[in-house]
Amino acid sequence: MTGYLAKRLLWLIPVILIVAGITFILMHNAPGGPWDRDLSSRQVDPTAQRLLNEFYGLNKPLWRQFTAYMVGDTNTRTGKWVCGLVCGNMGPSYRIRGMSVQQYLFNPPPNRSFLYSKFGYSIRLALLALAFAILIGLPMGVISALKQNTWIDYINLFIATVGISVPNFVIAIFLIIIFASTLHWVSIVPLSWDEFNVWILPSIVLGFGVLARTARLSRATMLEVMRQDYIRTARAKGLVERIVVVRHMIKNAMIPVVTYLGPALAGLITGSFIIETMFGFPGMGRAYVTAISQRDYSMIMGTTLIYAILVAVANLSVDFVYVLLDPRIKLTE
Amino acid sequence: MRSKWFVVVSLLVLASFILGACAKAPAAPSQTLRVNLGSYPDTIDPQKSSFVNEIAHLKLMYEGLTRLDAKLETVPGAAEKWEYNSDATELTFTLRANLKYSDGSLLNAKRFEYSILRNIDPNTAGEYASITDDIAGAAEWRGADLAKATPEELAALKAAVKVQALDSKGNPCTGYDQKDCNTLKIGLKQPAPYFHTVMSLWVTYPAKQELIEQGGESWYVDPKFQLGNGPMVLSTLEPTVQGLFTPNNYYWRGTAKVNIEFRYITDSAVSFNAYKNGEFDIVPLAAEDLATVTQDATLNPEKMVYPGSCTYAFMFHQLKEPFTDQKVREAFAYGLDRAGWVTDVLKGLGSPTLTWIPKGFPGYDAQENRWGYDPAKAQEALAASSYGSADKLPEITATFSDTPRNRTRNEWLAAKYKEVLGIDIKLNPVEATTYTALTKDINTAPQMYILGWCADYPDPQNWLSVYWKTGGFGQRIGYSNPDLDAKLNEADSTVDPTKRMTLYAEAQKMLTDTAPVAFFWNNVNSYMVKPYVKGIQTTPMDSGWPGDIDPLSITIEK
Repeated sequence: MTGYLAKRLLWLIPVILIVAGITFILMHNAPGGPWDRDLSSRQVDPTAQRLLNEFYGLNKPLWRQFTAYMVGDTNTRTGKWVCGLVCGNMGPSYRIRGMSVQQYLFNPPPNRSFLYSKFGYSIRLALLALAFAILIGLPMGVISALKQNTWIDYINLFIATVGISVPNFVIAIFLIIIFASTLHWVSIVPLSWDEFNVWILPSIVLGFGVLARTARLSRATMLEVMRQDYIRTARAKGLVERIVVVRHMIKNAMIPVVTYLGPALAGLITGSFIIETMFGFPGMGRAYVTAISQRDYSMIMGTTLIYAILVAVANLSVDFVYVLLDPRIKLTE
Repeated sequence: MRSKWFVVVSLLVLASFILGACAKAPAAPSQTLRVNLGSYPDTIDPQKSSFVNEIAHLKLMYEGLTRLDAKLETVPGAAEKWEYNSDATELTFTLRANLKYSDGSLLNAKRFEYSILRNIDPNTAGEYASITDDIAGAAEWRGADLAKATPEELAALKAAVKVQALDSKGNPCTGYDQKDCNTLKIGLKQPAPYFHTVMSLWVTYPAKQELIEQGGESWYVDPKFQLGNGPMVLSTLEPTVQGLFTPNNYYWRGTAKVNIEFRYITDSAVSFNAYKNGEFDIVPLAAEDLATVTQDATLNPEKMVYPGSCTYAFMFHQLKEPFTDQKVREAFAYGLDRAGWVTDVLKGLGSPTLTWIPKGFPGYDAQENRWGYDPAKAQEALAASSYGSADKLPEITATFSDTPRNRTRNEWLAAKYKEVLGIDIKLNPVEATTYTALTKDINTAPQMYILGWCADYPDPQNWLSVYWKTGGFGQRIGYSNPDLDAKLNEADSTVDPTKRMTLYAEAQKMLTDTAPVAFFWNNVNSYMVKPYVKGIQTTPMDSGWPGDIDPLSITIEK
């Protein structure tokens, strides 16, 4: 198991290199740069632009900017060596002046724990959203399959179809109008993210899409498993229906669902942009989306690499969950 | 095995619940004005900021030597008076006696010397730094080649910048604790009788040197380093969630009566719902919600719509055919249905204009009525052009930043021009930052596109000289008019205010003479303000919320 883990972790290195390379080429091919402003604001003058390019090393050849990001380079001003990604330095953000990407994403406010960093907030919201998606989505799918073509199935299918086809900002407005504006159960814009109840709406909005997919996927795989020979065998053995369903059907039907949920969690962590624009949630999704249009190169690199690593780690965890679900699967070389 | 699966799920749930719930935040003071500002600022460093949301924070915490009042007149701020020498090449400020920061510490002229020099310093690389380039020696120091220049050369360049704090005897001040250091002398590289207005801008705000150095590169995020001299004090700043300001008891004009809380919800639908739900006192009003508000008897009186500080124009590239021909430009200017645009497209959130300097700003020309919408004249002008008719024109492409809103807008314009002039305009949507990059270079600037200019400070010099002088922003569409340059140079260096304004008025007429672009519309500021919020004073130059020109006059009467 340890060997397997080590091997999989080592695979991360080429993955990071390739993702970084492709991202770097793509973002530098997009016209414009970090000092090009939205046209409604005053543009940066040529002298300031030159100074900023020099300061951040953007005047150097592209290959050197890439090696500077990955390995490091000497700073032209100070003459000191600045270590790059290999030392965990994700470079300075070009828009959030004076802050490095890792500071921006991983540093909590003063006197707060890591959970209060942007990354920490995003992880917490993603876990809640995932919990919501699993707790509601799985039973929905299972019950739909067991009661196929009944009204319960149709209602569940309807909810799942809504979840997949309606964008989450529309769902958010809908929920806001019902629960905040009409019923006044929660406030729309939380005054503080330290209270638990303010997390409910955002996690529902964020998790709804995953819930819908989980429900559909688990329904489909359940239906497939239900028709397998071993289910008939189990029934023929005289097992109680509950045991047949829980031990033989659900467990076997879970493998594709788990495969989907791993990367989905990575998507939930980085995908909270809508939640941030709507509820002022202090997560990392905004950095992820706005960095692209702002051409904040190091932020684009940083967030893309984090996403890549999250997907890789999620897939790795999925492999470990397989072992729990199916004793035939072994993690070996 | 079953139990293992349940353990995994329950641990996940439990973990997220524990992580989500924590200690409660302290209760907010009773009288707090809750403003939804929109985007959270990227930086709140006075010498590095340039966006409206950044400036909104800075204006509460700091005050410049001068400030703008509700009529956009430049009035004394930290300085009680100022005077120019006879040819307006030297500007001397006298600070108020016993000025204090919000912690009660002394604020003397040396602090302003530091902040102005910090703005020019090439090491700061401020994005708005060029605004003080009129100071003698500023452009030279700021433009120094840091990689090649020796420390001695840089020190000499810094020493040549004519900004100096002086004590009561006229000697250079020695430190930040010197009580009689109340004079700040600024040498200008050419006559600049508008420069005292520039000194009201945020780039000169006196953040403390020792706190900036102590806090490091990202000092500005920590309220304990944001010690200012403005009407409010930053009490807490939780990124993207909340910024809370409390009154500064040491502010020379008096103490504010409310706390001000900024929130950062960018989604206009959520913001508007939260306003209706009583969670905000002031929110921006988006065009989408205007109809709802107007039809609602309760909400309608709460809307606050007033002129903004930007002029938008249809830019024509003067060096690209067919806009090299003045008659074609005239045809396009006559053919532009500005009133229709404001009603149909902007849904009333804007006002049509035929001038560059907007209404409400010094230098506005209320008499100007040339090139207004007139289909018959548009057709005449096109017929009189060297092309003669629409079918002989080369292909015309309108370029714009690709958003659903801009697509609709440009389709509307293309349809209008088709109707009035029979011209088929090709639409060319491009990604937002790509669009900005294109418009910055005379060679890549599109043939025709919509572009706006918003005032940095309320003076015709900022509208006319900064934009339309050769070498300014207007050169990006190939505009260069030596006669206009001469007129503007004369106006810029004229000390007598009346004569100066006459010269600018003449210059603006000269600009409009050749119809270089089609002046189009002025933006409006539009907000929703709860009826119990009293004493809001608005100006076209409000940064992000109404009332920021004078937070002292705001009260909440519930």
